[in-house]
Amino acid sequence: MNKTNDARFGGAGLRSVWAIDERQTLVAWVQTPPGKIALLVLAFLSLNVTLQWQEALFDVAAMALFAYWPQWRSVILFVATYVTAFIFPHGSIDDAIRGVAAHEGFAELSTGALSYVALVGFLFLAWGLLAYARYQKQSVLAQRPLLTLLAIELLLCLLTYQGVLHGLPRLILWSLLCVLTPYFWFLAYALVDQRSKDRSSDLFQLGTFHPLWGGVGSVPVGKGAAFLRKMLAKTPKEMAITQIKAVKLLLWADALLALRMLLKWFFEDYHHIPSVTDAIDASIQNHAYALCTQWASLIWSVINYSLRVSISGHFIIGSARLAGFRLPRATWRPLESRTLIEYFNRFSYYFKELLVDFFFLPTFFRVFKEHPRVRLFFATFMAAGVGNAIYHFVCEIDLVESMGLSGALESYISYAFYCLILATGIGISQVRASSGHKPSSSVWGRIQSFFVVWGFVTLLHIFSDESRNHTFSERAQYLLSMFAI
Amino acid sequence: MNNIRKQKIREFFLETLKQNSDAQPLADNDSLFVSGRLDSFSMMMFVMHLEKEFGIDFTAIDFDVNLIDSLNEIELFIESQISA
Repeated sequence: MNKTNDARFGGAGLRSVWAIDERQTLVAWVQTPPGKIALLVLAFLSLNVTLQWQEALFDVAAMALFAYWPQWRSVILFVATYVTAFIFPHGSIDDAIRGVAAHEGFAELSTGALSYVALVGFLFLAWGLLAYARYQKQSVLAQRPLLTLLAIELLLCLLTYQGVLHGLPRLILWSLLCVLTPYFWFLAYALVDQRSKDRSSDLFQLGTFHPLWGGVGSVPVGKGAAFLRKMLAKTPKEMAITQIKAVKLLLWADALLALRMLLKWFFEDYHHIPSVTDAIDASIQNHAYALCTQWASLIWSVINYSLRVSISGHFIIGSARLAGFRLPRATWRPLESRTLIEYFNRFSYYFKELLVDFFFLPTFFRVFKEHPRVRLFFATFMAAGVGNAIYHFVCEIDLVESMGLSGALESYISYAFYCLILATGIGISQVRASSGHKPSSSVWGRIQSFFVVWGFVTLLHIFSDESRNHTFSERAQYLLSMFAI
Repeated sequence: MNNIRKQKIREFFLETLKQNSDAQPLADNDSLFVSGRLDSFSMMMFVMHLEKEFGIDFTAIDFDVNLIDSLNEIELFIESQISA
């Protein structure tokens, strides 16, 4: 990644000591065999902090092959991605399948094997859909890929709903739904890319579905193949700079991981600060913690969540950079956000990009053209509110099975409320920015901005907490109780 | 695109970049949005600028950020829209 990418959010004053990727002697050395080996060893050690050594070694080796063997990149990416998916699975698909397998009388079946078969089935389905969208450009799938995928997801959900189908057909369709769900947004990006004149090969497209650097979330970090091919280092020098930045980011992720462990010990082990879920539970049972403990619990939960998102994003982007992709960071100095829209941009860049690509842009180009402020607000609301809610509901579609449709919807009210307030706040922030409103850049102005932005995010965190144990009403009452109301 | 028009667009971006504390030079082929140098909000501001200044109707276009990702691409895009 070049210097300008790092300056996207105003980081012009880069710390010179840490800017080792700008030192020409180092950049030249990293292009030599000893330099490459040293860099890869450092990357392996950095990744080995969170991954098993076998997985870290495989990842680094695959990334190195991808970087240094350009004519075989599509094959390497595809093979490495699916070797990772099959040999180092993360288990969430198996867990989702297990319940239905038991319910339909197939408890003795290996859910691991079933998820592998479903994954292979999904790959063929995805391949077919890509080809169809490419050759039938006027089809609904090619013109409205997101709507079509949502319809497929809904159809599978309805067919596998309790009482509609039974036995093996239900288990097979449910397994397909469980595999489609985490790949949903990857497939959406690939379908959109079928319109491009310089689209990537199917092998490359499929290789970018939960790529080997991709983490466990459903957000395509690095977006789709269209973005990735544009961001690939073009020269050996660019490759060397990108890889140095990769190792820097991986080391930074390790440092943040150590900080998170230290804070975890401080809050949870030393001061026995409960989680927000436990604190709400205690409040419901009339054994509420002291106010200062409740506030400490909320603040720690926000810090912990922010660190988790940052660390995960840094490991993913660091790994992708090792392969030569000059990708912007997923999280970029969120504490410096001066407005809500800036926070949204800095905190989870690729999630924001997903919402922009699939919800903001289509809305922005279609409605309220004569009313610029309404247009901007509404498009932002559709992305940060409606898109955000749809994204999370799709990601947790297995709750429809475990909680029933009404239970899943009821437990979702709290998150929907979070989306509503967040979208309104971001929409207003967006419109204010477009009107030329700029927060003061003085020290006092920055402190004020920090407290406004992070105060908003912290209070709203009560409603976005990922556990589904509490209703909206319980969370709202808990928030009021924190203000002694 | 004539030079005055191109210069005006360059000034638009230099001002936006300046607001983001980005003082790096802007070459004709530099990626503005795909690289992450400018965010989607800046892109929308620029789209509204194009709609206002050149009367471009984006509803009729299969929009792709690559159409307006660099000064050269913007030049081609505006010319194609004006001549259409």
